[in-house]
Amino acid sequence: MKNFKSLLVLFSLVSFAAFSFACASEDDSASTASSGSTLEQVLERGTLKCGVNDNLTGFGVVTPSGAFEGFDIDFCKAVAAAVLGDSSKVEYTPTTASNRFEALGSGEIDLLIRNTTWTASRDRELAQDFTVATFYDGQGMMVYADSGYNSIDDMEGATVCVLQGTTTELNLDDRFTGTGMSYTPLTFETNDPLQAAFEEKRCDGWTTDKSGLASKRAEFPESAGGPSALKVLPETLSKEPLGPLTRDNDSEFYDVVQWVVFGMMQAEESGISSSNVAQMAANPSNPGMARLLGASFEGGEVQDFSFGIPKDFMQKVISQVGNYGEVYDRHLVPLGLERAGSLNAQWTEGGLIYAPPFR
Amino acid sequence: MRNFFYSTMQWSRLQRNRNLAIQGVFLFFVIIFGLYLIFQAFELEISLSHFSSRAGFGLSHTFLTDYTSNDSRWNAYFTGVINTIRVCLVAILLTTILGTIMGVARLSKNFLISRIAWIYVEVLRNTPLLIQIIFWQIIFLQLPHISKAITFGSTSAISNRGILLPWMSTNTNGQLWLIFMGIIALASLSLSYFFNKREDKTGKRASILGFSISGNLLGILIFGLIGVITFFAFGQPLSLDFPLIHQNTKGTWLQSGGFELSPEFSAILFALVIYTGTFITEIVRGSIQALSKGQTEAAQAIGLSNYQVTSLVVLPQALRSIIPPLTNQYLNLTKNSSLAVVIAYPDLFMVSRTIMNNSGHALPVFFLILFTYLTLSLFISIVMNLINRRVTRIGT
Amino acid sequence: MMNSPKLNFKDVKDWIMSSFFSSKLNSVLTVFSSLLLIYVISSLFGFLSSAEWEVVRINRRLLLLGRLPLEDTWRAWPILWVVCIILFSSIGAWGAPSKWELLLMSLAFILPTLIFFTMPHIWHVVVTFLICSISYLISRYFIKKSSYLVQAKKVLIVMWILILPLTFLILRVGGGPPPTLWGGFLLNILLASVAIVAGFPLGILLAVGRATKLPAIKTVCTIYIETIRGAPLVAWLLLAWFVLPKFLPNLFGLNEVSVVIRAMIVLSFFASAYIAEVIRGGLQSIPKGQLEAADALNLNYTSKLIVIILPQAIRVVIPAIVSTFIGMFKDTSLVFILALTDLLQVGRLIPEQDPKFFGRQIEALLVVASLFWIVSVSLSHVSSKLEKNLGIGTR
Repeated sequence: MKNFKSLLVLFSLVSFAAFSFACASEDDSASTASSGSTLEQVLERGTLKCGVNDNLTGFGVVTPSGAFEGFDIDFCKAVAAAVLGDSSKVEYTPTTASNRFEALGSGEIDLLIRNTTWTASRDRELAQDFTVATFYDGQGMMVYADSGYNSIDDMEGATVCVLQGTTTELNLDDRFTGTGMSYTPLTFETNDPLQAAFEEKRCDGWTTDKSGLASKRAEFPESAGGPSALKVLPETLSKEPLGPLTRDNDSEFYDVVQWVVFGMMQAEESGISSSNVAQMAANPSNPGMARLLGASFEGGEVQDFSFGIPKDFMQKVISQVGNYGEVYDRHLVPLGLERAGSLNAQWTEGGLIYAPPFR
Repeated sequence: MRNFFYSTMQWSRLQRNRNLAIQGVFLFFVIIFGLYLIFQAFELEISLSHFSSRAGFGLSHTFLTDYTSNDSRWNAYFTGVINTIRVCLVAILLTTILGTIMGVARLSKNFLISRIAWIYVEVLRNTPLLIQIIFWQIIFLQLPHISKAITFGSTSAISNRGILLPWMSTNTNGQLWLIFMGIIALASLSLSYFFNKREDKTGKRASILGFSISGNLLGILIFGLIGVITFFAFGQPLSLDFPLIHQNTKGTWLQSGGFELSPEFSAILFALVIYTGTFITEIVRGSIQALSKGQTEAAQAIGLSNYQVTSLVVLPQALRSIIPPLTNQYLNLTKNSSLAVVIAYPDLFMVSRTIMNNSGHALPVFFLILFTYLTLSLFISIVMNLINRRVTRIGT
Repeated sequence: MMNSPKLNFKDVKDWIMSSFFSSKLNSVLTVFSSLLLIYVISSLFGFLSSAEWEVVRINRRLLLLGRLPLEDTWRAWPILWVVCIILFSSIGAWGAPSKWELLLMSLAFILPTLIFFTMPHIWHVVVTFLICSISYLISRYFIKKSSYLVQAKKVLIVMWILILPLTFLILRVGGGPPPTLWGGFLLNILLASVAIVAGFPLGILLAVGRATKLPAIKTVCTIYIETIRGAPLVAWLLLAWFVLPKFLPNLFGLNEVSVVIRAMIVLSFFASAYIAEVIRGGLQSIPKGQLEAADALNLNYTSKLIVIILPQAIRVVIPAIVSTFIGMFKDTSLVFILALTDLLQVGRLIPEQDPKFFGRQIEALLVVASLFWIVSVSLSHVSSKLEKNLGIGTR
């Protein structure tokens, strides 16, 4: 009995040690929210922790192999390529609309790229900063084509499905209550029961960002009528500029993220893509291109913007991920979100995609 | 120094002193921990002042309150609490009935019925409640669309927007009359109680117009008589409110009037009732089996039918001992109602999460949630304790 | 009972009459329930024949392991094998399963593995099956009959405790995936096991603390237990996500532990409160004579506790503890609120992955529900076997 007891104690100690070893040795996912700049931590850690969406087709989904892909995911990869040189060194954390800000604020993630709208209250109250709008969206309302609605003003008394914890909820209320219309909101936690309710016509309308509506409409099953059974009403309830977020008071990392995105936009404007970036870097056609790619123009000095990351970060970004247009075409065009004529076209084509100069 | 040690040892020879010392040390650590928590908490903000600002979001179920998005967040929270109480009360009632019936069925001699009850318990007890809630939501969504609702004349309708039933509506005198009838109900109850007691003691029954009737019947008669007379005297304060399904000018289907059981409410109600029912079945079964077999045998010996044996002898005794585990299940049910967040039923948990998201302050809202659930649990425990004391006072 | 061994028509007819149609009420109930049964079974068959299981088939790995990186899938096998060895050796050493039970067990084991691990893992499945049968046979026919049974049983108990840290080691050794990537069925089982293993000692301490006469300790323990039991688990999990990082001290990287570890911490505390209540019931059931005899033998408080009170108390409430374990296992599905991809969350996500999977929620949910069900039913079966073995509940 005595032997057994001491054996038990010994084994318990060993197991406790093993357990703490297992927990402690995950310091590759440790980061302090309060001290040190995020950039230093990411460099030290060797991976970038990104908060993303896992069930919005086109922006962030989980594939059967467990990998993530989507428009927002590609920007995570771009930042990783810029900072760490390798776009695969990202640790993705799926976040919901309700817990995304806390994930960033608590240090759980370094960067939040999850189709999040830039608003004044979020900028201040949440102690987080919006970097650049990567996608200019607007909130819309999707209804059944045979419902007879032609505008939101027709929807007095309707039942509308919406996700919890988003500005969508508040904008919806502003639109209806503000114009004196009564309505019933059905607020769901996640998309799956919401979609089921909409398919069964439990609610008359579905409101979310128009990009989300486009993707949901494109995938609407044939058994429920297919995409032609739905229509997106023309009104936009609100402006929804979506973009990556970092924490407040973190200007180093903030600048890096911002200028990676600007770099991708500028690359598209300058005609640099993943297929020709190598040649362009070896032989830039003008000083502007050289500055962007961190190359030297006709033997001159390579400009260093002191971001704290290697000077040729844009080369890695474009070769591994692509420019803004490639990323957009890869993920959003299959959903039917055409760039031509929308806010997401280059400024040279009448859109809002405009990168400040790399100088 | 040595004196100090010696006097400490002398002092600690008394068990009482040692106890005090242990408690002192323990309390010391607890208080340090508590102070640390409080200190950390002060660095975050803990005030609920943001609750008085405009809510800005709508709620789909506003039972008993006329909540609109222009009201304060306190109003929203209060509406959520009412929704929780509403689903919990109905669920507790229904699940007790279901659990008792299934518990008895489990022990039935009817092979089919006992096996069905057994399958019910084994399958649904071991599946997580969350899956069952989602499942019930899917089922309730399969009901026909409101334009093709199943109607029973114009009295009620069933569709995937809800089950509509007729309800009462009150005019100006309505509330007064209801309060008055409440008082009369109490009076008739005491009257029948008094007559029953007298019958037990002296064997004399009340008699009206030569017919002898039991105390219960007398109470019901008096209640009914006064009710009917005052109903007309007050000018028919209640009327039946039939639900109406119609389309407005833009083609939106609306339902109004009557009493509406939305699919969200029904889904969470059914899931909670059926899931908790499995546990109550086992409790009831256990307590019936724990009952001495002699009772059943004696009851059968004096010629009672199976039904009479169960309802008159077995159940009253068995149900007496199940109140503590039953209370436990009720508390679990109340806490499980927080899962309504999944299917758009705005219970207090979901509303508080929306407020958390909109305001960014998590900790004070969390304390509020904790406080509310503790109060609800306390209330249920107190009521069940009272019932327990009452029931176990009778008999041994 | 009559002497005739054969079941003749009259006996069967008598049984049917007495069982199903003994009274008017009974007959009505029989008719009604048979109609209900027919309806349920026919709709079940109707559903099964038109069901498309593609959504589950493609996402098997996702369901079982969550987002564990592809190159780390090999880690799941050693874990499975270790659990197999210990589980089947324990069954061989302790239990005496009938042939019927053996058949059911192997079915419950083989069918899911076949469904989930068909080619190219067929050799792994064969190896698993071999390991299970060999360890069972060895323990049943060699160890049980040998004189080393008692020591072997102790070793097995210790190994049960060691499974958990061993699992962590296997998952982490050689640069394994960080806990954030653990998901699926593996995550549920891990969370439940950690919650019980960590919550059990804490629960014992709390129960003893609550039962003590010292008012300070008693009040603090009672307040802790009642507070934890007062709020739903989803609320506590949210607390872990939002609030815990702000309260944990900024040393040893404590306030940056991953969500999974935080969920384990909260689940352990939650389990400890429930286990404390269960053990409290056990403590109350100990006859006073035991305590008095312990005092008469001049045992001090600690010895009295460890040698006399706790073994008896825990033995009496083992079924309740197993039922708490089953409850915790089901409750691990609530970690969806922390955006952890556990089994249920995967089941809800996969129909949205691909347009051709839309509307296939019921298939995915059914598979998820069956996995939960298999584990829970096995556990409750174990509990009733334990009850019988230990003779609890018999007068």
